[in-house]
Amino acid sequence: MYNILVVDDDKEIVGAIDIYLKNEGYNILKAYNGEEALKVIEENEIHLIILDIMMPKKDGLETLEEIRKNKTIPVILLSAKSEDYDKIGGLNLGADDYITKPFNPLELMARVNSVLRRYVSFGSIKKEEGKKVYQTGGLLVDDDTKKVMVDEKEVKLTATEFNILKFLIQNKGKVYSIPQIYENVWNEEGFGAENIIAVHIRHIREKIEINPKEPRYLKVIWGVGYKIEDEK
Amino acid sequence: MDNLKSSKLLKMISYILLPIFILLIGLSIFHFAFLEEYGNTDATKFVDTEMFANKYAYYIADNIENAKNQKNGNSRMFMQIEDLNGDKVYYLDKNYMYSYYNGINEYVDFIIIDKETNEIYTNIKIDDYNKEIENMKNAPKYWNYNDGKIETNIEYINNNNIKFNTAFQYFVIDKETNETHSETRNIENYTVYSKYNPEKTSGLTNYKIVEGIYEFCLQNKSLPIYILPISIIGTFLIAVYLLCAIGHEKNQEEVKLSYLDKLPYELIFFVGAILLTIFATGALECINIANYITLIFAVLLYFICYIICAIVGVTTIKRIKAKSFIKSFFIYKMGSWCLSRLKKVFITLDEKATENKRLFWYYLLFIIVSIMLACLFYTGIAIILLIGFWIWAYYRIKKYILDQEKIKNALKDIYEGKNDVKLDDENLRGVLKEMAVYVNDIASGFSNAIQESLKSERLKTELITNVSHDIKTPLTSIINYVDLLKKENIQDEKAREYIEILDQKSQRLKKLTEDLVEASKVSSGNVKLNLEDIDIKELFNQTIGEFKDKFEEKNLKIETQIPKKDIKIKADSRYLYRIIENLFSNITKYALPSSRVYIDVVEKDEKFVNISIKNISKDKLNISSDELMQRFVRGDKSRYTEGSGLGLSIAKSLSELQGGKFNITIDGDLFKVDLEWKMSY
Repeated sequence: MYNILVVDDDKEIVGAIDIYLKNEGYNILKAYNGEEALKVIEENEIHLIILDIMMPKKDGLETLEEIRKNKTIPVILLSAKSEDYDKIGGLNLGADDYITKPFNPLELMARVNSVLRRYVSFGSIKKEEGKKVYQTGGLLVDDDTKKVMVDEKEVKLTATEFNILKFLIQNKGKVYSIPQIYENVWNEEGFGAENIIAVHIRHIREKIEINPKEPRYLKVIWGVGYKIEDEK
Repeated sequence: MDNLKSSKLLKMISYILLPIFILLIGLSIFHFAFLEEYGNTDATKFVDTEMFANKYAYYIADNIENAKNQKNGNSRMFMQIEDLNGDKVYYLDKNYMYSYYNGINEYVDFIIIDKETNEIYTNIKIDDYNKEIENMKNAPKYWNYNDGKIETNIEYINNNNIKFNTAFQYFVIDKETNETHSETRNIENYTVYSKYNPEKTSGLTNYKIVEGIYEFCLQNKSLPIYILPISIIGTFLIAVYLLCAIGHEKNQEEVKLSYLDKLPYELIFFVGAILLTIFATGALECINIANYITLIFAVLLYFICYIICAIVGVTTIKRIKAKSFIKSFFIYKMGSWCLSRLKKVFITLDEKATENKRLFWYYLLFIIVSIMLACLFYTGIAIILLIGFWIWAYYRIKKYILDQEKIKNALKDIYEGKNDVKLDDENLRGVLKEMAVYVNDIASGFSNAIQESLKSERLKTELITNVSHDIKTPLTSIINYVDLLKKENIQDEKAREYIEILDQKSQRLKKLTEDLVEASKVSSGNVKLNLEDIDIKELFNQTIGEFKDKFEEKNLKIETQIPKKDIKIKADSRYLYRIIENLFSNITKYALPSSRVYIDVVEKDEKFVNISIKNISKDKLNISSDELMQRFVRGDKSRYTEGSGLGLSIAKSLSELQGGKFNITIDGDLFKVDLEWKMSY
C-alpha cells in the first residue's frame, strides 16, 4: 500500500483525485496548502506527492524546494499553468512529472503508476553484460526476448514497430529522418511509401507513451525526423 | 398689374412709341428754338429771316475774301476763264463751298469786280457780265455794293445793319499785346453785285428742304405748344412703365438675366458709346447735308442710336433690378479678385513669415553679392571673388544636400519601421536643424508608441493567460466529476444522456481555453521561435503519417505532389506542425468524406516555396476567406461542432510570425490554403 499525498487548495479537485487513486488501491493523504503538505510529509511516510503550484500560504514550487532539501519522494506537479517555461521550471526544481489542468484522469493514473514504479524499483533494472538490452528512462527494449517494457509493464509491438524502436533506441539522442530509418531498418532505399514509417512511429508512440501528443521517449522533430530521448 | 408688367405687346408698343415721342420732343424744342431766334418777325418765308440774311452776307463776305486771296496768290479757288468782252474772269464753282451754307450758295449769284485791275470774280458762267449786272438790280432779292454804298432789298440787311456787319468783320490777334480785336474787312476796292435766285436751279436740292422746313416752322408757330407737352408726358409715362416692366416676364418671380446682361457692364457701355458716337455723328452729318436721302438716313440712324441706347438702358435697368449692377462691372470683378488674392497673400505671408523672411535675406545677400561683383567686374578682384563665391556656394550647397539626404534617410528608416532612429542635429543649421529635431521627435514618439502597443499586447496576453488559469481550476473539477458520474452505475437513460452532453461541453470548454491562450499569445507575437531547417518532404511524410488513420476513417485520399529534391525552409518545427495539424484536423472535420485532398509543393522563382492544400468542403461555404481567418469564426454549419474556431487564426498568425504567408481561397466548395515560405539554403 503506497501513501500518496494530494496537495491542492481546491478541495473538489483533491476529492476527485482521492476517488480515482483509491480505486487504484492507493492510500491517500490530503493537504490544502504548502505548509500543511510539509507537515503531513514530516509526520507520515509518503511515497508520492501530487502537488498543485498555485496555492495560498506556500505555493507548490516553494514546497517542492523544501521537500527536495532532504527528501527524494517523487513529486508530480499539477498546475493550470501550461507554458513550456512553467513545465521546465518545475522539472528543474526536481519534480518527476508535470500534469496540466484540466487533466485526463486516465493520464493522471498512468503517470502516477509510472512514477511510482520507477521510484520503487529504482536502480533494480541492471543492464546485464552481453545481453542486448537498451534502456532510456522507464523504457526498456530487450533484443533477445524481443520484449519492450515501459515502467516495468510489457508493451506489445509488431515486428516492424519493434525494429524501428530498436534502431532508434540503439542510437538514442540522435535524430533520424524517415529515409534514414528506412535504409537502416530495411537496408534498402525507400521510395513512395515513406509515410508508412510515420504511421508506424505513431503507433509505437501510442503504445509506449502515456500521452502520445506529448511524447516522453519517442520524440518527433517535425520536418526533421525522430529520436529516442536519452534519459539517464 | 403683373399682367401689364409682363405684357409683351405693351412693351413692344412702348419701345416703338418712345423714340417717336423723344423725336417729337427734340423737334419741338428745335421748333421753339427756331422761333425764339427767328420767329419774332412776321416772316412766313425763309428769305425774310435773319438766318437767310446772315448766310447770304457771309457767303458774299467770304467770297470777297477768296477773291483777295486769289489775287495775292494765297489761294487758287477761282478758275481763270475769258468772256466775250475780253475781261479777265475768275470763276468759282457753286458747289465748292457746299455744306456750310446749307446750299444757299446754289441760289446766290455774285459778280465781284476788282476796281484796280478790273478783274471779275464770279460763280456764274455767262457771256455778258455787264448785262447780268443790270439784271441783278431787278432781282427779287439782291445785294450790291458800289462806291461804299450798299443797295439791297433784303429786309434784314436793311433793318439790322449792325448784325449784318459782323459778316464783314474778322478777328485779328495783336502779336505784341496778344489781344484780339475785330477789324472790318476791307471791301473798298471792290464793287459787288449779287442776287438771290431760287427759281434758277431746278431739281430737288437740300436748300429747298431747309427752306421748306423753316417755312413750315414759321407758318405753324403754335404747333410745338401742343406737341411738346404731349410728347413729354408720353415719354415720361412710357419711361416709367418701362422702368417698372423691364425684366418682368410671365410666371417669373425674379429678373431673368440673359447672356448679354452678364457681360461686363463697361464692355456694353463702351461699345454702346462708340457705336452711338459713330451713328450720331453720321446722323448729324446727314442733317447737315440735308437732302431727302440723307434725311431718311438721319432718321434711320436716329432709330439705330435709339436701339443702342435702349439695349444699354434695358440691360442697365435689368442689372439694377437683379442687384447685380455693380457686380457686373469688370472693374468690380477685377477689384474683388485682386482683393481676395491680396488677402490670401497677406494671410499666407502671415503664416509663412519665417520662410519669407529667410527667403528675403538669402535673396538680398545674393543680390548684394551680385551687385558687388558687377561693380568690381573690371578690377580683376571680381574674378577671384567670383571663384571664391563659387567655391563657397559649392560647399554650402553640398553640405545642404548631404544634410537633406541624412534627414531623408532617417525618414525612410522611420517609414520602414526602424524604431531606433536618431539624427545627429549638432552640425545642422536653420530649417534643416528644425527638421532633424522633428524627425527625432517623431522617431522617439514612434518607438514609444511601439513600446506602448507591445506592452499593451503583452498585458492583454497576460490577462487572457491569467483568466484562463482561473477558468482551468474549476473546469478540472467539472471534467473530473463528470467523468466520475459517468462511472457511476446510473440507470436513468436521460441522466446518462445529460452527463454525455456535460462531458462534451466541458471538453470543448477545455479546448477553447487552451486555444484562446495560444491565439492571444501567437497574435501578439508573444512566442519564442526556435528556427531550424525543416525539410518539406519529411514534414509531410510525418504529418500525413500522423493523420493517416483519421483520413482513412473519412475515406479521404491524399494526393501529394512534392518535388523529389530537398526543399528546406527555416521554421520552428513545433509551430510549423501546429499549422499543419490545424489544417489537417480541419480537413478531417470539414472535408467531404470519400473525396480527395491535394497537397502540392511548388518552388516559386527559386526563392520561395508554395505549399497548397486543397479539399472539398462537405458543407456549403457561405463565408469569405477573410472572415474565416478571423478569430472564432467557422462556417455556419460547423459552429456547433467541436473546435474553438481559432484554428485558422492561429495558423495564420503562426505562419506570419515565422515569416511565411498564409492565404485562404474559397472557390465554390473548394477550400484552398496557400502557404508561402522563403526557402533556406
